[in-house]
Parts: sequence; C-alpha cells; structure tokens
Amino acid sequence: MKNSYKFTLLFLMSLLTSLSLFAQQTISGKVTAEEDGQPLPGVSIVVQGTSTGTVTDIDGNYSINVPDSESVLVFSFIGFESQEILVGNTNTINVVMATEESQLDEVIVTAFGISQEKKSLGYSAQSIDAEAITKSRQPNLVNSLQGQVAGVQVTNSGGAPGQSARIIIRGINSLDPSADNQPLFVVDGVPVDNSTIESGGTPRGMSNRIADINPNDIESMSVLKGAAATALYGVRAANGAVIITTKKGKSGEIRVDFNSSLGFDKLVKKPRLQEEYGQGFSGERNDSSFWPSWGANIAEENDPNYVYQDNWTRAFDTGVNFDNSLSVSGGNENATFYTSIGRLDQKGIIPFSNWDRTSAKLSGTVKVNEKFNFSGSMNYTNSGGNRVPHDRFLERMMYWAETQDVRDYINPDGTMKTYANTNPIYDARFATYEDNVNRVIGNINLNYSPTDWLTFSYRLGMDNYSDSRTEITPGPMGIDGEVALSSTGFLSENRINSRDLTSNFYISLQKQWNEDWNTSLRLGNDVFERRFDRVTATGSNFVIPGFYNLNNTTQIFASQGKSMRRLVGFYGDLMVDYKNFLFLNITGRNDISSTLPVDNNSFFYPSINLSYAFSEHLEMPSWVTFGKLRASWAQVGKDTNPHILGATFVSPSIFPLNGQVGFSRNSTFGDPLLRPEQTTSVEVGTQLAFFNNRANLDVTYYKSNAKDQIIPVPISDATGFSSYITNAGEIENRGWEIVMGGTPIERGDFRWDVTANITTNQNEIVAIREGIDQIVVGSQFGYVGSTVTMILKEGRPYGDIYGSSYVRPDADPDSEVLDRSLPQLIGANGFPVRTGNQLVLGNAVPKVFGGLRNDFNYKGFELSFLVDFRAGVDQYSQFDNFLSAFGKQEASLARNDFRVFPGVLADGSQNNQEVWLGQGVGPDGVDYGAGYWRNHYRTTSENFVVDASFIKLRNITLAYNLQPNLIKRTPFRTARLSVAANNIILYTPWDGFDPESFSAGAGGNAVGFTGLGFPGVQSVFFTLNLGL
Amino acid sequence: MKFKNKLSAILGASIVLMASACESFLDVNENPNNPEDAPISGLMTNSTYETALNVYRAGSATSNYVQYLASPNPSSGSDIMDQLDFSGTWFNLYNVMTDLNEIIRKSEESGANHYLGAGQILMALNLGMTVDLFGDVPFSESFNFETVTPAYDDDQILYDQVISLLDQGIANLQTESAISIGGDDFIFAGDIDSWIKFGNSLKARFLIHTKGSSSYDANEVLAAVSGGFTSNADDAQVTFFEQRFNPWAQVAINNENLLLGGWISEQFIEALDGTSYPVADPRLPLMVGTTDDGEFIGVPNGAGRGDAPEQGARSTLIPGQFYTSEQSPILIATYAELKFIEAEAALDSDPGRAYEAYLSGIEAHMDMLGVSEEEKAAYLADESVSMGAGSLTLDDIMKEKWVAMFLHPETWNDARRFDYGYKDMTLPANLNPNLNGNFIRRLAYPDSEVSRNGDNVPEVTLLDRIWWDQ
Repeated sequence: MKNSYKFTLLFLMSLLTSLSLFAQQTISGKVTAEEDGQPLPGVSIVVQGTSTGTVTDIDGNYSINVPDSESVLVFSFIGFESQEILVGNTNTINVVMATEESQLDEVIVTAFGISQEKKSLGYSAQSIDAEAITKSRQPNLVNSLQGQVAGVQVTNSGGAPGQSARIIIRGINSLDPSADNQPLFVVDGVPVDNSTIESGGTPRGMSNRIADINPNDIESMSVLKGAAATALYGVRAANGAVIITTKKGKSGEIRVDFNSSLGFDKLVKKPRLQEEYGQGFSGERNDSSFWPSWGANIAEENDPNYVYQDNWTRAFDTGVNFDNSLSVSGGNENATFYTSIGRLDQKGIIPFSNWDRTSAKLSGTVKVNEKFNFSGSMNYTNSGGNRVPHDRFLERMMYWAETQDVRDYINPDGTMKTYANTNPIYDARFATYEDNVNRVIGNINLNYSPTDWLTFSYRLGMDNYSDSRTEITPGPMGIDGEVALSSTGFLSENRINSRDLTSNFYISLQKQWNEDWNTSLRLGNDVFERRFDRVTATGSNFVIPGFYNLNNTTQIFASQGKSMRRLVGFYGDLMVDYKNFLFLNITGRNDISSTLPVDNNSFFYPSINLSYAFSEHLEMPSWVTFGKLRASWAQVGKDTNPHILGATFVSPSIFPLNGQVGFSRNSTFGDPLLRPEQTTSVEVGTQLAFFNNRANLDVTYYKSNAKDQIIPVPISDATGFSSYITNAGEIENRGWEIVMGGTPIERGDFRWDVTANITTNQNEIVAIREGIDQIVVGSQFGYVGSTVTMILKEGRPYGDIYGSSYVRPDADPDSEVLDRSLPQLIGANGFPVRTGNQLVLGNAVPKVFGGLRNDFNYKGFELSFLVDFRAGVDQYSQFDNFLSAFGKQEASLARNDFRVFPGVLADGSQNNQEVWLGQGVGPDGVDYGAGYWRNHYRTTSENFVVDASFIKLRNITLAYNLQPNLIKRTPFRTARLSVAANNIILYTPWDGFDPESFSAGAGGNAVGFTGLGFPGVQSVFFTLNLGL
Repeated sequence: MKFKNKLSAILGASIVLMASACESFLDVNENPNNPEDAPISGLMTNSTYETALNVYRAGSATSNYVQYLASPNPSSGSDIMDQLDFSGTWFNLYNVMTDLNEIIRKSEESGANHYLGAGQILMALNLGMTVDLFGDVPFSESFNFETVTPAYDDDQILYDQVISLLDQGIANLQTESAISIGGDDFIFAGDIDSWIKFGNSLKARFLIHTKGSSSYDANEVLAAVSGGFTSNADDAQVTFFEQRFNPWAQVAINNENLLLGGWISEQFIEALDGTSYPVADPRLPLMVGTTDDGEFIGVPNGAGRGDAPEQGARSTLIPGQFYTSEQSPILIATYAELKFIEAEAALDSDPGRAYEAYLSGIEAHMDMLGVSEEEKAAYLADESVSMGAGSLTLDDIMKEKWVAMFLHPETWNDARRFDYGYKDMTLPANLNPNLNGNFIRRLAYPDSEVSRNGDNVPEVTLLDRIWWDQ
C-alpha cells in the first residue's frame, strides 16, 4: 500500500514537470498582451504535431527552431486565447494575444433555491455539479461530497449496502451526545429528512434517508457552511445546509438519457492475521475447543483435518452493485418536464446483505404568462434490504476456529453445522432484519410577478415516508441435536411513519435606484411540521417453528413512540448592491418553536455579510482576473427536541408482567424555563482568480461559538433525576478552509483541471456547567478493563478517548493526557504495569482533512482522480482488542518467543528480565497462565487507541465520450463509457479494516469507536451513458 | 380616513387572529409518550420489582467479596477487591427511592395508608442498602430537585431514619387505607400482615448491624423478631416471570453461552463439601453445578481458572436450580435470615433460644431448597452442626447464615461485622495492593457521582468503614 502511495506521488510530479525539447530552424519574435500592450512572459510556443516547444522570456521574447516553412506554431498561455500561426518564409513572428472570454459569471444556488452570483456572497459556499456527483457511482448522495468540499467531512459508517454516511460541516457544534450535528438537506427549496434510524439491538448498518434520492436526478449540490448562509432556513440549518437542485427539462427537443452501471465490491483492507496456529489452547490442538487459534502449530500437526481455512478471505463475497436509470426530459418556451425512473440493486460483501432502491421522479415547470409561472415535482422511492448483523458477524468470525471451514455452515436439514460455536454465516442468513421504505417527496412552487419589481412566491413541500421493518431470529426447529440461534426465537415488527410539511411564502421586491445602487428585499413566512410515529410489536417463542407471524408467538410486547414538532418563522433579507462590486446583505429571522416553553419560544437572530469585489473596482494587473474580500457575522438560534419539558413518568418496556404495568419517574427532567440556544459565527475570506480564471484560490477563516446550549446535563442520581435538560455550556470551532484550483495545461484538445481543498478544525469545549465535570458521549467494550469512553471535559476538544494505560513513572500526575513517549514501568513479573486510571489516549475528530481532484481531458477521453485524506485522528480498535484475546493477530506469531519489555523497574533501573509470551508453563519453568496477550496486552486500552489517518484514492475514473464524427453514425446524441474505482487506501497506519467505518452510524457522535463495524469496501464500476 | 381606519382594523384583527392561531398551532408539545402523572399502583409495581432487582444488584456486587462467587479470570476486579465503578447500582437504588418518594407523597395526599406504609418500608430497605454499601449518601436534599448537587448526610443519622421509616411504615400499615394494595404489589400481592412482618424483620436486620455501637439493645432486636416472619411462607420475595427471567438464572444461561459468570468460589465449595467443616452439606448439589465429571471444584478468588477451559471443569451456577431457575424468586428477606438474627441477638442472654433459632434457620433454608427429610436429619445430627446450646458460638451462627443467605448482599454486612472471620476464608490472590493486606470495607463512590456532584462527595478509601462497622 505504501508503495502505491509513493507511486501516485511520483506520477503526479511527473505530470507537473513540463516537457522541453529541441529542434533545427530558427524563428524569433515577441509576444504582447492585447489589453495593455505589455510583453507576456512564459507564453508556451509549440510546433504543432511535434513535441518541440519553448516559452517566452521575461521581455516576452522567444526563439524557436522549426523543421520547415509548413510548420505551424501554437501560442498558448493561461487566460489567453491560443493562436496557431503558419511559419511561411518569415523569421520573425510577433504575436498579440487576446484574453480569453471570462467564465466568471459563476452562480451558486443558495437559500430557497435562489441562484445567486457567487461574487455577491459575503460568505464561503462551494458547489459540485452532476458529473462530479455521479462520477464515483456512490449510491448514497452524501458520499459523493467526500473529499470535494472544504470544511465538509463525510465519513462512511461502513461498507454495508445502503449504509449511512455522516456529514459534518465545520466541526461538531453541540455538547449533547445525542444531537444530530449534520446539516439540513434541501431539495429544490424544500427541506427533506436525512435522519438515520438505527436498529435496536445489534448494529445493522441502516441508511440515512438521503440515500433514498437517486443521484442521477441531481443537477448540482451546493454546501452552505456558516450560519450566514443558513440564517434563512432557521433553526434546522444551524449546522449548515446542503442545497440540492434536481435536473429540469430544457426547452427544445425531447431528450432521453440512459445510464447503466455495474460495480463490484471487495474488502478494502483487513487486519494482519497469523496463519500458523489453529484451534485449541495453550498450544494444544482441540477440534471442539472454544478457542479458535491458541492451539497447535498447523504445519507441525500435518493433518488435512487441521489446516488454515483462510476464513477471513472466504467468508466475504464479492459485492455487486447494478444501477440503471432512464430519464426523459424536454419542453418548449412555456413548459418543461423531467421524468426519470431508477433502480439500484446492491449485494454486500457479507453474505446475504443486500439493499435496493427504486425511484421515480416527475417534475415540470409551466410559464403561464409573463407574470405567472409554477412548477412542481414528485419523487417516489422504495428502498430497503436485508441488513445483516455485521457486528455479530465479525464477533462470531472472531470466535470461529481458523482450522474450521466457515463456509460449511448448514446441514441438509437446515440446522446449523458447527463444531460448537455459532457460525457467522448461518447467523447472517437466518437472523434477518429487513426494512422497506416507501417515500414520497413532493413540492409545488408558484411565482407571481404583478410588476417587474415585485414577486410573490409560494412553495409547499412534503416529505412523507413509511419504514416497515421486520426482524426475525428463528427459534429451534425441533430437530434432535440442533444448535439453534435462539432458544425461543423472536419476531419484531416495526412501523415507522414520518411526515414533514413545509410551507414557505415570500415577497421579493427589487429596485434599481440609479445606475449605482440596486436593492432587493425579501420578506417571508415559513412553517414546518414533523409528525413521527413508531410502533413496535415483538413476539417471541414460535409455536410452529419457521412460521413467522406475531399470531404464532406465545409472548407479545408492544411499544409506541410519537412526536410532533412545529415551527413558524418570519424572515427578511435585504441585499444592497453598489456598482456591482460592493454587496451588503442583511438578514433577520424570528422563529417560534413548539418545542420550547411558551414564554421563551419566540426568538430573533440577525446576520450581516459584506462582499467587496475589488477587482471590479480597482485597476488590477492583467493577470488578476478576479478578486474579492468577504466578511460575515451571523447568529442562528436553535430550539430543541419535542416533548422534553418538565417531569414525566415512563412505563419501562419490560411491562406488562402478570398483567401489571409499572411506572417510574422519567430520569430526565426538562427545564421548564429553557431558552433557545445561540450560535454566533464569523468568517472572513477572499476569493481570487488569476490568468483569466486559469488559477484560483479561495481562503476562509471561520469561527463559531455555540452558547447556551440545550444539553442533557448529567446530574447526581440522588436528585431524583439523572439528566437535566437545560441551557449550559459553550463549544467553539475554528479553522481554515482553503480551496485551490486551476487549469495548469490547456493545449489544443488536452486539458488538465485540478482542484484541491484543505480544512483545519480546532474545537474547544469552552464551558459545561458549574459543578459538572464531564459529559460522557459513549463507551465501547474492551476485554478486562480496556473499555474506552468518549468524554467531553471543559478546556478539551470534542472527541477525547479515555481508557486504561501503562504506568509511566515520570508522567505528570496532574496531566490527563497520556504521554506515550515516557518509559513504561515494568513489574516484578517482567511485564508492563497497567493502570485503570482513565487518561486521554487520543482524539477522534480529525484536525486536518482535504481532497485533491484532477481531471484530464483529451478528445473525448477523460481521466480523473480524487484523492482525499484526513489526519490528526485516533480511534479505538475494538477489533484488535478481540484479535489479541483470541490469538489471531499476526503479532501473536511470537507466542513462543521470549521478550524483554523496554522500560524501567520500580527502583528506576532498566528492565532486563526476559519473559515468555506463550501460555502455560514456559521453557523457563514459569507458569504464564493464559499468556501475554490475554493476561496483559488486551487489558490495556492504550494498545488499541491508534492513529486512524488515511490517504485514499477516493475515486479514479477513465471515460470515453464518443466524438461527434463517430456519434453521427449512431442514433445517439451522446454516448459515454467509463470505468471507475473507488475507495482505494493509499496509506494508513491503521491495522484493521477500513478505518473510516465506525460503530455509531451516521446519527451518532461516538465516532471514536470502530468496533466490529461493517468493513469498508473498494469498488470498481463499469458505466454506460447514452443520450438520445 | 375611513378607509385607513378600516384597513387598520382589518390588519389589527388579522394580526390578533394570526397570533392566536399561531399559538394554538404551536401548542403541541405535551408529551404523547410519557404521562405527566402515574397511578400509585403502577409506581408500586415497578418499585417492588426494582427493589428485588436492587437486592440482586447489590448481591452481584458483593458475592465475590464474601467468596460465594469467584471470577474465572485472574485478578478480576471484584475478586481482588479493586475499586470498581458502581454507577449503575447507585442509579438503580436512587431511581427506586425516587419512585418511593412519589408513592409516599401521593399516598399521604390520598390517605392510602397501606401504600404509604409499604412505601416507607421499601424506602427504608433501599436507603439502608445504600448506606450499607456507601456510608454517607445524599438523602435530605434528594428527590425534590431544589439543587442539582445534593449534600451528603451522615450515615448514622440516616440509620435513625431507616429505623424511623420502618416504625412509621409498620404503624401506617395497621391503619385503615383509602385504597387497597393488590396484584400491583409483586412482593406480597397486597397481604398487609405480611408487610407488617416484613417491616419488623427488616428492623431486626438493620438493628443487628448496630451491635457494635453504644445504642445497641438486643431486646429491641428480639422484639422486632417477634413481630417478624414466622415461616418460609412469609418470605419477602419477587417471583420471576415467563417473560422476564430471574437475573441469576440469566447469569447461568449466559455462562452456558460462554458469556462467563456465576463461577463458584473455592471457599464456598470447600465449606460445604466437607473440606473446611467435618460434614458434607446436602444443600451443595441443590445450589451449584458440578464439573463434567460430577465433581464440585471451585475457583480460588483472584487466581482465576488457570488452564481450565470455559466449560465443564469448574462448579458454576447452572440453570434450573433453586436460585437459578427462570422463574425463581429473588429473596429480599427470609424467615431463615430472621432466625439467625434471633440467634445472634439472643446468644449472650439466652443461649437456649439462640440455639433453637440457629437450628430453625438451618431447617428453614433446607426446606426452602427442598432438601429431603433424611438428608436434613443426617446433617442436623452431625455434632459439628448440633453442638448443643452450650457450645454454640457466633462462628457457627455466621457460618450457617452465610450458607443460608447465598448470593444475598446482607452477607457482606455480616462479613464486615464478623471481620470476615469465616473459617478458612483468606484474602484473595492478587489482592488490590491499596488494601495493604486487608479486606474491603465499603464501596467507592461511583464515577457518576464524582463527576456530577464532586464537591460534595466525601474522600474515602476502600478501608474506611461504615459507621456500624467499627
């Protein structure tokens, strides 16, 4: 892996190095700019059809040898139109170069789906287009943002079909461990639901709801990062917003587009494992032992019934991904339509995991007359699949003997075939969890402009889904000697219904006061409602084995959870534009939320931002195409979850028992005087473009402080409550975002575009609450005292992982942070001494991340690759903890070795005692019990909190577009063939599966735990696009 | 003018309308899942159930200290008396006390004196258990939510409150009640006489703890005993359910499924198999399982199981026995226990009564387990058991009480009062070095309390004793 990383770097560098060569006959001259007549240095001059070339010197002079008078010289320079000149019989050729037509009228879709000129924005915003979205063939739209946008961190929670991805913009903004820190998703101006509802019980890798959207329908996505960009969406966009615009029909001929893609997935990475020792304990073979690999040396046994089965390769399938979509669009000047259907089938690498999505979309726009137009769209999706218990799968893989064939899992009568332990594949096949989502997203837009300065707009949106889930774990079949997955079996039926309604009415007023001053004002009202209802019925103990109906169970439990949230907002947005180079934008919004106490539920927050396009104002050197400074200050209020105020009673889910229903006081108490929380953010930045936009740079510094947070403060249980939801605490995020891009080479038909982005994030928990030391975000099990916990403490950043460590005598007793560089204390037994004192072992929030995208185009061929990275991030490898408990890791090959642990003894002297690492009585006569890894190594969290940085080749795509001369001979308008590969790890210090996978799922914040998550996959795709 | 007036009237009216419409539109925050109030009977159901579980939880925390159980792993924290975090147990104790506080408040308001009395008795039990585990704990500033950092009360003063709650409870149960308790009570199903006996038995239990203190009066204990349980049928217990298994049964089932737990201490096996004492106890095979070879082999506390495999090589709790059947009861307080309390209290003043009570205690426990009459008689006939009134010592009483209270947290109170003086009971291997060669005397305050109420939490070590353990 390391080698391939180096290779890529070399490859990049060689591309950056320009080629220079030699020739015979001499032509010379001077190159000047048309605009100001000044000489142009660095202009490239190439003899067409050869590799001969030179560049102009500092005074614009050049000299070049050409073969003959028929030669053609090509002059090209970034930001200027290239010229081709026949040499003829002259020896001097002076050239005047004209600037290329600017492509700077870049627009971006901002709040309420309004297209705005990017230069007028006083805050940073970035967008990606349809091609960049679909290039990586990610079934989940969120994943297509990976590595492409500064300030935006997208993390795959795992490699399961349809599995959620998490998106965080500019850091985590809430101290509430259960807060959703993800941005609001807005499709065609209407907010849609992107929640992830995880399975109860064992993790199953559920989808975030944006996965219901077919990426092929998307025209562009823009990411609005700061509060300034989102003040208009109100409380729900306090973490930023992703504005999605879907494809629309265009007037003209009817277009038909077909896209088909076939992809294959395989495990991207697995831990380094030993292959030499088999089932048993203490070095002794035992074919029915619980112990999978502490047994005998396989080679020494020399028995065909005791061979390494390579289960870690063979247990996983090749995943298959088949995606087809067809769209028809068109229209005339007065009406357009777009319609599409899509179908995605995915089969995962863990056997029996699958997911599919069928989507249909219809949208249209109608211009009734000059004054009135309307549009609407309707999107239907059916999605779902079988979600295998990946966590349990990997746990059972862990227990499964390396000398037993894991694939040989079922008897002819359908019972599990096993030597004793539960077979992971049998479990994955029969312990099913299927979800079936039916979702309709629709919107209607009406626009009426009685005069040219006034427009009334109304937009109604609906997002309605039902998610029906069925979980089955079979009971015994009633066959003698069977090993059942469960002694009773159970069936759980979950019915989730969610409906979002959004109504938005606004008036736009536009006035051009004179040549210099232009203003636009928007005033509006916004109403939101979410109704959510979840009913669960669980029956256990099947009367008739294998007949899965609640009526066939002897015990049934039911539960229900409902909620309703309503928001009403009023807002105003004033934009003042002076001479098209100075832009001032002031917004104000008042929200009223149903979730807050009546006396505090109405709250106002303003924003102001300024953009100064100095290049449009001041005289600039010709190579400066565009320059802008921007600054913004914004506040955004935030309400809370519905139904949390005051004290309530709960009926614990164990009831009824004996016909009785018990009640207990809810241990959460919601402050009846709760106030809205407030995030204040500032950002300053600059956007620069050079050489007619051939190179550009965008730099932003941001800082946001979320104060008066509404968080569940953990309080002494002795108060009668454990958690007090109140206003407390402050969290700060600050950092830099840098986006660089350009077109280093554009020569004839060849074009190379490059964009890079890098983001830094520093987070600090400024305050929690007087008397409260810490908030626990979550913890993950580790054997014998190696459990780790993610804890928030004042003055520390979000994401600290606490756990046990080795004693270091020189450590500062007051320091909470482990200093790994200090020598370890070695005990009298010769092994490092461990302490259960909880120290910070690492931090799970990356400090720096970014991406680099390269696109090469040549005559219909396209090659692009996207490399992304993250650094300054640690995670807990639960998997490694388990591996060391069971003797499966490569390091345990040293099980018959002696070792001297480096460190100091209690008296301060160097340790030089040799100890044996194996189990039982060693060659030195000492009884080492269960051995080094079980008795020592696995007990210390420090060993498993590891650097989880990576550099990934997120996507590489090679495509060929049929050229006009060829396409003419086909019935098609366009045709494109491409092959792409995704998620190839170029470098990571992490030993395990893909470090990107984590246990919590997209909805959770306990990102420091990789656990036994669904392993990440790398994929290759073959795609065909046809247009009629 | 007129037009303007009309316009402003319309505008004004519509603003008022909109505002009121808005108000009712937004008035949807009432909790649709959790009621704002709960019936007293529902609180009783959960409180009786959770109190039994608290007895299990405390028993689970202390069974390794008194060497009923031993961990299969070496140097396990509970075996070696390490400082462990009992945040969960602490939460559950206070969670039940919070609900009991509600029961007491509501029943005072409604004149439901039986609920009031039962609530006070359960409050006394949960508070007493909390004090016995942790010493000083918050109580006087608890439950009313006047502060988020409640102060800690002195443990001796809290003991007065425990006794006072029991007295009040017993008194209230003897009055008329506006509402009767019924099947919502998982302990006695509303049998008030049993509740009164329960109150007296608990009073005897908490008073015997104070034997070392100046305020102790044996006659008070004996008075309480006489108002207490009169047979095994009176035992305070919660029988478990088809839908919800006995937690010790769950431990045994989990252990069968290789989630290891419920391994028996070598100390316990040797005390009953004839090693430490001259006679083999017929109760042993009814309480714990054997190895695959049918032998009883325990694990030395702190040492772990050595090379023994996960299954079949040591005695463990196994599903289906008296303590470990799916629907076994969790014993909260028993007649057998009361008899041993009587024996201890009467030992100095009336050895004859003490001896009778001692024998009755053994018999009661054997009857509970279903020991056959022949085996019972044979055991009782052994002179190491039936040594006669004149030869009965506290050691004999404590040994038999230890057996009869298997897995019960009360044993740790006994062990501390008795200075862990059980025959052959030795410090565990790999003892927590901070104990300097001594047995543990208390639990550490839980991490949750330290992090949430740190300024009030007393500084203690595991060797600091509860007030009655001096």
